[in-house]
Amino acid sequence: MKIKTVLFFCFCFVLFAFQLATEKPFVVPKGWPKPTYDFSKNPLNENTIELGRTLFYEPMLSRNNIVSCASCHSQYTAFTHVDHALSHGIEDKIGTRNSPALINLAWQQFFMWDGAVNHLDVQALAPIANPVEMDENISNVVKITTLKTLPNAFLQAFGDSVVTGEHTLKALSQFMLTLVSHNSKYDSVMRKEAVFTSQENNGYLLFKKNCASCHTEPLFTNNEFKSNGLPIDTTLNDYGRFGITKNAKDSLKFKVPSLRNIEFSYPYMHDGRFKKLSEVLKHYTTGALHNQALSKELQNPIVLNANERVDIVAFLLTLTDRSFLFNPNFSYPKNLFSTQRRIKKSSASITLTNIIKNEL
Amino acid sequence: MKKFRFVVFFIFSLIQFVSAQSDSTITVSFVAHYNGKNVDLSDSSFVANDSNHLQIDALRFYVSNICFLKNGTVVLPEKNSFHLIDASNKNSQTLSIKNTNKINFDELSFSLGIDSTTNVSGAMGADLDPTKGMYWTWQSGYINFKLEGKSNNCPTRNHAFEFHLGGYQTPFNCLKTATLKTTNQKIIIVVFDINQFLSVVDLSTLNQIMSPSKTAVLLSEQAIKSFKIIDP
Ligand code: HEC
Ligand code: HEC
Repeated sequence: MKIKTVLFFCFCFVLFAFQLATEKPFVVPKGWPKPTYDFSKNPLNENTIELGRTLFYEPMLSRNNIVSCASCHSQYTAFTHVDHALSHGIEDKIGTRNSPALINLAWQQFFMWDGAVNHLDVQALAPIANPVEMDENISNVVKITTLKTLPNAFLQAFGDSVVTGEHTLKALSQFMLTLVSHNSKYDSVMRKEAVFTSQENNGYLLFKKNCASCHTEPLFTNNEFKSNGLPIDTTLNDYGRFGITKNAKDSLKFKVPSLRNIEFSYPYMHDGRFKKLSEVLKHYTTGALHNQALSKELQNPIVLNANERVDIVAFLLTLTDRSFLFNPNFSYPKNLFSTQRRIKKSSASITLTNIIKNEL
Repeated sequence: MKKFRFVVFFIFSLIQFVSAQSDSTITVSFVAHYNGKNVDLSDSSFVANDSNHLQIDALRFYVSNICFLKNGTVVLPEKNSFHLIDASNKNSQTLSIKNTNKINFDELSFSLGIDSTTNVSGAMGADLDPTKGMYWTWQSGYINFKLEGKSNNCPTRNHAFEFHLGGYQTPFNCLKTATLKTTNQKIIIVVFDINQFLSVVDLSTLNQIMSPSKTAVLLSEQAIKSFKIIDP
């Protein structure tokens, strides 16, 4: 009899363990390089991804409960800030940089335009603490999450209902790691499921000749810091990578951004100075590329006539991936923010949040 | 059923065996001194009775990679050795390290700060959790050492000084290691001597370090020299 009870409990435990680990192995698209992210330290599972998604859309991560990650990283613009050159944060305070698109982060080694962040897990600490972005403190976030919202979700995600900074950050990473874009027309052509128009094809050839040394396929970045010759904006005096390494060689270098979904992630460059791809192409071809740091790949002037520039733009548009931009798994988690919870938040609990925050 | 009882008995004796070993623990305590006085921030700041009215508001640092040596070779390394020592939290200041085989040693070594591999390995828990306030947010990396306070020598607002030392990338790697002789085998008290740390600092000109830099490296070297072992 007793042994049966023990067996029963063992069975329940195993069942419970299975429920925790609805593991969801990360799928590397065919022919792509090995991801940089070490999944063994944070194995993806559906509950954790879902928790990360909730946190990504959770405005309580900001001091005034209004700004969420998604405020500056909106799905329909490939997770960048809609139409803002410099990102807008809490109380409409304006930052110093353009928010980058969040695409294929699993392959990225450095984050931010200057690589200030060395690992995806610790990325969220920056916007949460930044006084012009979310102006909150990760310890408060953890306390509030514990008291108010999601201990049950943490239990399902990590087998531990205690909310910690580590788990909060790892959940956010899991969601962001799923933001993989590999279903553009370009990808179909590479898989031989579609063909380029002759204009796109011509653009592709020109791209490979002039741009791919930095914007390398299939990720469309070589993950290095380069200068593409933009003159410095003296109202911002942003020296990029130099600010981190204090090495003169890194002056005016910025992380080479991916060009996937570039059609939707305007405006362009670290300070959002260009609104249109035609302006970007003009920049690369006017020969006006001079800052003392200009990277070697651009030392020989790029010569393209007007038609060729249009062809390159036509090619860049083939990098648009609608199955990414409109993927329901990436969007606002309606089921998680049920009406019930919203009502709760907008009445009693919002004051609770404020009380908790004021006490901290 | 007999088998079941035997298993219970076996587990029980195993527990006994393990707990019997536990009195072979080495206790390492980290305390801070100023003018020979204990700097305990549990309830309030520490105010020294000296001409500059030196006040200490916060002192926190990471101790990692604790090892015991005999004749210069490591005989007992602590596994997963990361500890946040906080002068305002008594519990954090005493570490217990198992010495199951009662190994003899004559030196203690530890690092002040967090190594570069750990620094680039993403979010971690326990004392390394970024909610502990020892992580830079705008630029990745642990703060190895924090000393905050006030002194009349500081021309700053409220006469405040803040030393946040850290940085894991060359040339600004701030991780420093101390190796100290010890005759004690059971209880070891390591003192951080604030006088010695501040002896190279002219607070009227140097009072704010908030990011990795050459000065942070120099101050980290001074910090590691300010640890010594005293008799219990
Ligand atoms: C106020 C707008 C704003 C908010 C809110 C915001 N971000 Fe960002 N994000 C930015 C900007 C601007 C950058 C680039 C900053 C830089 O390079 O210095 C950025 C960069 C990033 C990057 C690096 C991308 C890359 O390719 O290097 C990631 C990842 C990211 N944010 C995730 C998040 C997460 C997660 C949150 C919520 C916790 C969040 N962001 C909240 C504006 C914002
Ligand atoms: C030397 C390496 C290099 C080469 C070659 C290069 N780029 Fe870039 N590109 C960069 C860097 C670095 C940035 C980011 C610069 C910044 O924001 O300061 C960038 C930014 C861009 C952007 C804006 C992306 C965004 O999300 O804001 C586009 C579009 C672009 N490049 C297209 C091209 C095209 C088209 C070519 C070829 C004609 C090309 N690049 C050649 C390095 C390069």
